[in-house]
Amino acid sequence: MRETRLWSWHLLVIPIIIVLLGAHFAVMHYAPVFYGVSVEKAREFETMIERGKSITQFVLYILLLAAALYHGLYGLRGIIRELPMSPALGKIVDMSIIGLGLFIFAFGTYVTWWTFSFKIGG
Amino acid sequence: MNSNKPAYNNRLGLKGWVYAGKYTFERYLYLGHRLTGMGLIAYMLLHIIETANRMRGVEAWEELMGLFASWPFKIIEYLLFAAAVFHALNGVRLLMTELGFFLGKPKEPVYPYSSSIKRHRPLTYIIMALAGLIIILGGSSLFFP
Ligand code: HEM
Ligand code: HEM
Repeated sequence: MRETRLWSWHLLVIPIIIVLLGAHFAVMHYAPVFYGVSVEKAREFETMIERGKSITQFVLYILLLAAALYHGLYGLRGIIRELPMSPALGKIVDMSIIGLGLFIFAFGTYVTWWTFSFKIGG
Repeated sequence: MNSNKPAYNNRLGLKGWVYAGKYTFERYLYLGHRLTGMGLIAYMLLHIIETANRMRGVEAWEELMGLFASWPFKIIEYLLFAAAVFHALNGVRLLMTELGFFLGKPKEPVYPYSSSIKRHRPLTYIIMALAGLIIILGGSSLFFP
């Protein structure tokens, strides 16, 4: 049951990733097409801060961070756990992946918060 | 004698990811899906650390973005984009398969056999053609600003 639930989440977060990663690529990659600005301009420090100071962006970045991290790390766990290993080693793999995921999530959230609360000019 | 040991060892290990006999188109898509999935998660972990450089200030950030604007990084970025598009579209196909769409109704196994994979294949070709199109178009704004 637990495994089924974890796998269901792996699939359930996909719509979030499709929408948000699609939007992320539109901003970073297709900026000239959708926003009429160059790719370089879209990635300038000022532009990034401007983006990051909006509450919508703040929430969406954290959502993308959580969804893509979960989907990707669960997938990675599946690949590693297909290799032959003892149950004890399997547990270590699971714990390491959970640890890595929580660390990257906390760090990414902090960085996004830093951007959100950035004081322009000071 | 150890009774758990199979009489014939057919375990292929890592080699089985790449080739295990007569492969169908879908089996190569599986390989591509796995490789792009691993590439994407590796990129994502580095990406979170790399974009944290913004906390070191404007100069550090602009220097990093300058590096990414160079040709080798543009090519890497394009490969990443292509990997993401392939993984996403093939992933949508997998979702449809897993939810049982476009596989046709189960049939009696009467010769000439029609498998659900074969019935699904036209959709597979359409989705892959779409992925190819997006990948080709996606290079335009990156390489011809
Ligand atoms: C853009 C939308 C995406 C879609 C539609 C998608 C879809 C899928 C699907 C359907 C699976 C297979 C699940 C299964 O059959 O059990 C999968 C596996 C996987 N995905 Fe994604 N994915 C997407 C984005 C990502 C991203 C952004 C990452 C990395 C951060 C990622 C990493 C992985 C990995 C590592 C696997 C495991 C591959 C394997 O077991 O061979 N995916 N994805
Ligand atoms: C073409 C490739 C990509 C480029 C150029 C790019 C660029 C950037 C930039 C410049 C930022 C900083 C924030 C901002 O400017 O608004 C950022 C943040 C972010 N990107 Fe990407 N990105 C790319 C691909 C991806 C992919 C494939 C993923 C997910 C698998 C992803 C996930 C994220 C996340 C979660 C953040 C927020 C970081 C944080 O919370 O610390 N990006 N990206």
